[in-house]
Amino acid sequence: MGILFATPWIFGFLLFLLYPLVASFGTSFTNYSILRPPKWIGVSNYRELAQDAVFHTALKNTLVYVIGAVPLGTVLAIALALLLNSRVKGLPVYRTLLFLPTLVPMVAQATLFLWVFNGDYGILNAALRGLGMNPPNWLGDPGWAKGTLIVLAGWGCGQAMVIYLAGLQNVPVSLYEAAELDGATAWQKTRNVTLPMISPVIMFNVIMGMIGAIQVFAVPQVMFPGGAPARSTYMFAMYLYDNAFLFQRMGYASAMAWVMFVIILLLTLVALRISDRYVHYETN
Amino acid sequence: MTPRFALGILVAGTVVVGAATMGERIVARQGNTSRTTVIYWEKWTGKEGEDMRKVVDAFNASQDRILVHYLSISGVDQKTLLATSGGNPPDIAGIWQDQVLQFADNGALMDLSPYARATGVRREQYIPAYWDPLTDRGHLLALPSTPASITLHVRPDLVPAQFASPETFPKTLEGLDALSDQITRRSKNGSLELAGFLPSNPGWWNWAWGPLFGADLLKGGRPTLNSPEMIRAFTWTGSYAKRYGSQAVQTFQSGFGNFSSPQDPFMTGKVATELNGVWKANYINIYRKELKWFAVPFPYPADRPDLAGHSILSQDVLVIPRGAKHPREAFEFIRFVQRQDVMEGLCLSHGKTSPLQSVSEEFFRRHSNPQIRLFDALARSPQAITLPHTGMYPQMGAELGNAFQEVNTGSKTPRQALNDAQRRVDGLWEIYQTQVVNP
Amino acid sequence: MRRTDLSTRLKWLRTAATHVALVAASTLFVMPMLWMLTTAVKPIEETMTSPPRWIPSQVLWENFPKAVTYGSEQLGYIPFLAYAVNTSIITVLCVIGSVVSNAVVGYSFARLRWPGRDLFFGITLATMMVPFPVTMVPSFALFKWLGWVGTFKPLWVPSFFAGAFSIFLLRQFFKTIPMDLAEAAKIDGASEFQIFSDIILPLSRPALAVTALFTFMGAWNDFLGPLIYLVDQRTFTLSLGLQAYQTQHGGTPWNLLMAASAMVILPVVIVFFFAQKAFIQGIATSGLK
Repeated sequence: MGILFATPWIFGFLLFLLYPLVASFGTSFTNYSILRPPKWIGVSNYRELAQDAVFHTALKNTLVYVIGAVPLGTVLAIALALLLNSRVKGLPVYRTLLFLPTLVPMVAQATLFLWVFNGDYGILNAALRGLGMNPPNWLGDPGWAKGTLIVLAGWGCGQAMVIYLAGLQNVPVSLYEAAELDGATAWQKTRNVTLPMISPVIMFNVIMGMIGAIQVFAVPQVMFPGGAPARSTYMFAMYLYDNAFLFQRMGYASAMAWVMFVIILLLTLVALRISDRYVHYETN
Repeated sequence: MTPRFALGILVAGTVVVGAATMGERIVARQGNTSRTTVIYWEKWTGKEGEDMRKVVDAFNASQDRILVHYLSISGVDQKTLLATSGGNPPDIAGIWQDQVLQFADNGALMDLSPYARATGVRREQYIPAYWDPLTDRGHLLALPSTPASITLHVRPDLVPAQFASPETFPKTLEGLDALSDQITRRSKNGSLELAGFLPSNPGWWNWAWGPLFGADLLKGGRPTLNSPEMIRAFTWTGSYAKRYGSQAVQTFQSGFGNFSSPQDPFMTGKVATELNGVWKANYINIYRKELKWFAVPFPYPADRPDLAGHSILSQDVLVIPRGAKHPREAFEFIRFVQRQDVMEGLCLSHGKTSPLQSVSEEFFRRHSNPQIRLFDALARSPQAITLPHTGMYPQMGAELGNAFQEVNTGSKTPRQALNDAQRRVDGLWEIYQTQVVNP
Repeated sequence: MRRTDLSTRLKWLRTAATHVALVAASTLFVMPMLWMLTTAVKPIEETMTSPPRWIPSQVLWENFPKAVTYGSEQLGYIPFLAYAVNTSIITVLCVIGSVVSNAVVGYSFARLRWPGRDLFFGITLATMMVPFPVTMVPSFALFKWLGWVGTFKPLWVPSFFAGAFSIFLLRQFFKTIPMDLAEAAKIDGASEFQIFSDIILPLSRPALAVTALFTFMGAWNDFLGPLIYLVDQRTFTLSLGLQAYQTQHGGTPWNLLMAASAMVILPVVIVFFFAQKAFIQGIATSGLK
């Protein structure tokens, strides 16, 4: 009976996960343009990846993005969740306003921020010039373009924020009262009670955030086609997509996809290992 | 199971089954006719799209066996490739010349040679610079729809009087540089107000700077991106960013309006000269009819007078993707477009030149571009520059564009940028030879 | 006396500081969208001014209908209304499929015993680590073989087969429902399915709402899926339409582009507004531990 209930997923797993997983692994050893049958070429694709300068650039860009976006998103989300966890008036309003950006479709986000970051007419530069600074052209400067993507990631931290908020509200009040009796300050309470109690949530969000950030595609694709300027915003998934559907090199793209998968597995393992030390589980 | 629950399941089930079977068909409804329907995807929207639609209507009215269905598709090249991969291509696709060889190498195009032979379409009828790039090893892969030549446009009101005419405008690049420096103006806070010339505007032909300096992008049949002429060309383009300030130029350009609007930088006087195509006159006539301008052959390096009269050529083309359902009927339409009267009518309305050898006087007379004869002569000139003839052009173009940006932002010297591009293209070339050309 | 005065003052300070921080953060977060709205109603000349102006000289409400009919007298205009219909069809199908299949499967993992259950659950969790690009190419080939490329099917059929994240969410939630309710029903002779539909589901509204909302947002905003699988421009979704609008041959005026973006965002905001309470409650009670 249990298996019967699980059949949709069993089918889904086999059809949309296991089969493509195995198939793409096989394809990664071929030269496949989908208009012609695949041709076996052994480890050629992987060897080519090791020497592909554009692949290295895309990898580096993606790593920089992950290192920027995940901590920023986490810190912001936790900080905002802590603020929202207090007993002040008007919470629903603040909560809605802070969550609003996550509702914006990625294409719309990209379009909007193309406008906000515009070097000449954007409000950001207008504000900075008003403060007397001489701001760079964010979108056209290879040194700053990635930064705009990271800022966007922070802007969209509402989803994680809401999850943290739920986690915060599950922390037993008795623990706070006990800490207060010991004379703890607000910061000490946060550090010794709050953070440990929501550490499983932090771990979950950080891992999911990492997995998502490595695959980032829609926003940079719309804001910076081709990874302009000078490929500074060319991300892993963008190069993959270009190889699969623009250059018709599906075998090469599959090899790239598996490299991405392995990287994610390694990073997740590292995260889990670290979390063993720091994450505190409530024993029920 | 409560009745409400059962009702919910019934409703959901109906929605699902209904949508599953009808879903996209409700939306993508296609008329039912007794004629063979030919699906034609084209990139043109607005007025250009309407002009082509008139040609389609004329064809549909001229016979009763075939009905061509015109669709404006944005990103038509990508979409065509995806559709062909997915087994669902249009019968005709209007793409750019840039990708023809690449598509063909991937087996995405049908060979048009047998159709051309059967209907009397021959090379002699065309300007060679437009026919030859569309053939590969004896196969005809595409036919032109509207070609263009691209050269320097000048605003005499923004240029010192002694240079303000086609005869007196500087003929050499060094002359252009000096003139541009003279004209370029900044506002009080250091930002640019007017630029004499900017290589990065509009930035659509970064592959061509080298050939404008005499470089051969396919030296000895291999992609060559770092020849001395290439380095010289990119040093020249980079010098503008250096002289006017890379950041200032970027900020200046980010405020440029759209080319198809009154806010176009040339029309609003933000740039005094601009490299652009024969179609520019069309837009000026629409948005700034009273604007005074003229065009000259693009200046050449002073030590290379053999390059005089050069310009860049581009063309929109028509192809039949592999797997198209009605190729024969599709080619009938393409053949229709190649007829001199039809072709001239189309190119007239788009403000482009005609790809055919024989041109009627009326074409010149009725053309919206007052300097059409210049653009036509440039297209026939032996110095005309066309895309490197290889299926690897898209990658070369991407590398050259990237190198251009690197030099412009000052992150690499021209030599570094081009050497890196060359190294990368060399690797791609090897793979291209083994995996695509001789699999 | 003095100590309580000090502590109440501190508390007041903390509340004030919290307010200030929240106001600042909210302003920062919402400002880009306010900017989008003011740009949307400006006349075109006022969009490209430096320094930018916040208050337009005239409010052009007609920019909104104009954005969706821009160039409609001409070829190639972006039929936003049709795209909205397309996106709605796909989204509704996805939500139905997702809620139904994930509830059923989540229940199976949470409350029913079968051999290999926990091992399979672990594998399910692991699949969340598989990035989309890995399955992208073979899925494309699979759908091509089925002849589904160019239709909506690749975009909604997979939701009927459940997904790891929602399975995880619902399983955690179902586990929090006390067993005695189900035990009592079983003693009365109810079948497993009856227990599921009559007892568990009505109690699970918040968690189902969360699943539905996440699926809704995912499907409404999906970009890569439609990019790969939709071929005929008349079948495009809003995400594709907005991108096409932006990169249109000839380009689009910023004010109309912002107006179009605003209209694409609006439905999601409305749905969220109504589902807010259930949403927050659902996340809280599903206990992501």
